[in-house]
Amino acid sequence: MTTYLLKRVLWFIPTLIAISFLAFGLSKCTPGDPVMQACFPEDTPFDEAVFELEYKRCAQSLGLDRPAFYFSLSSAAYPDTLYRIQQMERRNTLSKLIAQYGNWPEIESYYHEIKQFRGELAEVPDTVAAYALTSVRADARFLPLQYKDELVQRTLDSIRVGVNSDPALVQRLGASFKTLEGRYSAIKSQATPGRLYVPDFKWYGTRNQYHYWFSRFVAGDFGVSLQDRRPVSRKIWEALQWTLILNGLAVFFAYIIAIPVGVYSAVYQGKAFDRWTSGLLFFLYSLPNFWVATLLIIFFTNSEYGMNWFPAFGTGSLPDDAPFWSRFWEVAYHLVLPVFCLTYASLAFISRQMRGSMLEVLQQLYMRTAKAKGLSERVVIWKHGFRNALFPIITLVANIFPRVLTGSVVIEWIFNIYGMGWLTIESIGQKDWPVVFTIMMLGAIVTLIGILIADILYAFVDPRVRYRK
Amino acid sequence: MFFGRKQQKDIEQQLSKRTYWSFAWERFRKNRMALWSWRIFLVILFVAITGDFIANDKPLYCKIDGKRYFPVIQEYAVQLGWSKWEAKFLNTPWYEQTFESQFWPLIPYASERLDYKNTYKGPFDKQNVKSWRFRHWLGTDDLGRDVAAGMIAGARTALMVGMVAMSIALLIGLLLGSLAGYFGDDGLKLSRIRVGLNLLFLLLGIFWGWGSRSYAISEGAQATNFFLGFLIIVALLVLANLLSSRLERIPALGKRWVIPIDLIVMRLIEMVNAIPGLLLILAFVAAIQEESILYVMLLIGLLAWTGVARFVRAELLRIRRMDYIDAARALGFTQWKIIFRHALPNALGPVLIALSFGMAGAILLEASLSFLNIGVPEEQVTWGSLLREARNYPKAWWLTVVPGFAIFISVTIFNYIGDGLTQALDPRLKE
Repeated sequence: MTTYLLKRVLWFIPTLIAISFLAFGLSKCTPGDPVMQACFPEDTPFDEAVFELEYKRCAQSLGLDRPAFYFSLSSAAYPDTLYRIQQMERRNTLSKLIAQYGNWPEIESYYHEIKQFRGELAEVPDTVAAYALTSVRADARFLPLQYKDELVQRTLDSIRVGVNSDPALVQRLGASFKTLEGRYSAIKSQATPGRLYVPDFKWYGTRNQYHYWFSRFVAGDFGVSLQDRRPVSRKIWEALQWTLILNGLAVFFAYIIAIPVGVYSAVYQGKAFDRWTSGLLFFLYSLPNFWVATLLIIFFTNSEYGMNWFPAFGTGSLPDDAPFWSRFWEVAYHLVLPVFCLTYASLAFISRQMRGSMLEVLQQLYMRTAKAKGLSERVVIWKHGFRNALFPIITLVANIFPRVLTGSVVIEWIFNIYGMGWLTIESIGQKDWPVVFTIMMLGAIVTLIGILIADILYAFVDPRVRYRK
Repeated sequence: MFFGRKQQKDIEQQLSKRTYWSFAWERFRKNRMALWSWRIFLVILFVAITGDFIANDKPLYCKIDGKRYFPVIQEYAVQLGWSKWEAKFLNTPWYEQTFESQFWPLIPYASERLDYKNTYKGPFDKQNVKSWRFRHWLGTDDLGRDVAAGMIAGARTALMVGMVAMSIALLIGLLLGSLAGYFGDDGLKLSRIRVGLNLLFLLLGIFWGWGSRSYAISEGAQATNFFLGFLIIVALLVLANLLSSRLERIPALGKRWVIPIDLIVMRLIEMVNAIPGLLLILAFVAAIQEESILYVMLLIGLLAWTGVARFVRAELLRIRRMDYIDAARALGFTQWKIIFRHALPNALGPVLIALSFGMAGAILLEASLSFLNIGVPEEQVTWGSLLREARNYPKAWWLTVVPGFAIFISVTIFNYIGDGLTQALDPRLKE
């Protein structure tokens, strides 16, 4: 048993690592620059030099100044130091240029020439040809972000027009602009797209983003939210409380109702009670809970239809120092509808399982023996039957765990309860990926733990179960 | 006497014609709920397929200036590039044309057609329309879009999502499930060279198919280039297997490894099941900037295959011990032929059950996604998006009741069909 469980737990490791790859890979594919999001919330105009320094510092603090993974398997056209270009937008432009032309040396010197040109441009005093200078500066700002030939060409043309419009500018920038144009046409004339098809393996070592993220994750440090820079663990903890209350209540009610219903509909198999409850539960099972939630909100939470019985949203707004019981009732009052929506669906599933396993148990000989001994109906059903029928219900325990984390996404969203589901959708909307992927990882871990616990409970409930493998 | 014998022969003949499937169908028919669910499914399918002819903002037939038109059919031709609209149809909406004669579809609105004169009109409200023929029978939403037309568009989306997603799930599930079930942990023996070449060429294929061509994929015609990349991968894998069939003859390369395929597939299933599905889809769809129902289908399919794979695996574990499989092996059939011609067809029953419950799940998932307004384009009307609108305007009860009921019905019928199949395909029936 112990060896089996140990083996099981060991098997979780590759599973978790694979899921972490998935989460990390997805987080790398997401649009938007996390550094900009975390440190430069509004489009505040920054002094160029300050911006660059500040950006670097922020990228370092988020661990984003490293290569993405232990190794990369890309084409030989890409340099192994591309990650050192910190600004995401520029890096992306460069890699798009490489993906087009495949000649990094030319692209690199073009990139440096842009920097050079912009440096010279910054030195031109504002009083010289003010109008033309502004337009050249605006164009030069966008040049490092453009990779489509047509657009680069157009920007270069526009800069040329601007520079040539004033002799003073020609004098100061003419030569450097000419080199810039020359460098760009060199990219095109000396393109080596064939190099893109030469595979190249690059090893980066453990100083990489994934390692940084995953090792801190294992240590329990989930990073900071890009949105408000609060620790992710703090945000999740706050949300988790509501989700736990909500789902805890729902699971509790579901089992309390479903188990007797399941047992009795097995005992009275084929009778009216069984047929009616089975029909009703099947019906409930198919009712989408977000529909029911919307119906309840529309009909029971406003005076439009004369049935304004329940609050529609949230969990109450009493201050923290209000007396406990009044806060309790306030919250309870708010949770009636959401808990109902979460309960009814799982009700059907649990009671169906219970009925199925109870039916099997009822055919066993020991049940007949128990009855023949003259035991009362109640003792036969509950003591002899129910305990043995619990076995399959145990597997359902595994389902509870992931539910607690992510089972009530839609319901929380509908009822505006600040739980995990709400946090997830909110974070997705705000592109706050550290939160989203942490929740995903935690969800996976909790699911695996659920499976493990079901395994252990199996062995406890039924001593015949021996895990040998 | 003579007559009796002939009759007996007839009966015997008929009995021998009755296959496993006809028995199953008989039993399925006896389950009234399942049978009716099946019929409702056919109706919904019909409505979804012929939706353009039932709800459209163009007349089915009309006569203008002595010329006859079939605008709904012509629309198909225009979309395929075979035909062009005359200028007058492009400049003037169909509702404002002067017809000599006209014949409109049952619902003379398309799902995305706006009608600003009738916003938030209920089915029983007074509506600002030309005649009863143009009434919005199920009301309208905040932009005056016809709910009935939206329902039909929604049926189309829901069924399409369910079917495409389940086809993907079926494809992956059948393949992996049958490999795991048939070979188990010690049945699949592959030569070193085959394993090595396949892995190598898979990596190279991904590199050449998608990696090297990343610019064409991200900037050019996305879907085409992506698919082209996929073809490159497939071609390379075929090449790898052809090569290894040759190279296997060299003894050093041909040494065989036992691949614990069952273990691998079961771990994979465990992994996919451990991923919180809704969360992954939400995150993924949000990460891809462009919203398309295609991604939703693909993702649902990629998560839903585990159900099919488990069923198939369990069935094949049973079937592979049967005598006729041994017989097929003894006759020298190839492994692939045994799996796909002899073993799999007998495992299809449980697959149908998994598929039908999977359809219910997929439809529900699509509805919740569009309800949350994630992953489905804003202008596409679906059941979930109609239901979402209801929250903004509690007075519009029809926006809640109608689409929600449709979701409920379609989920229910697939659950009932699955239930009916479970009973009808009970393995005890085979004997």
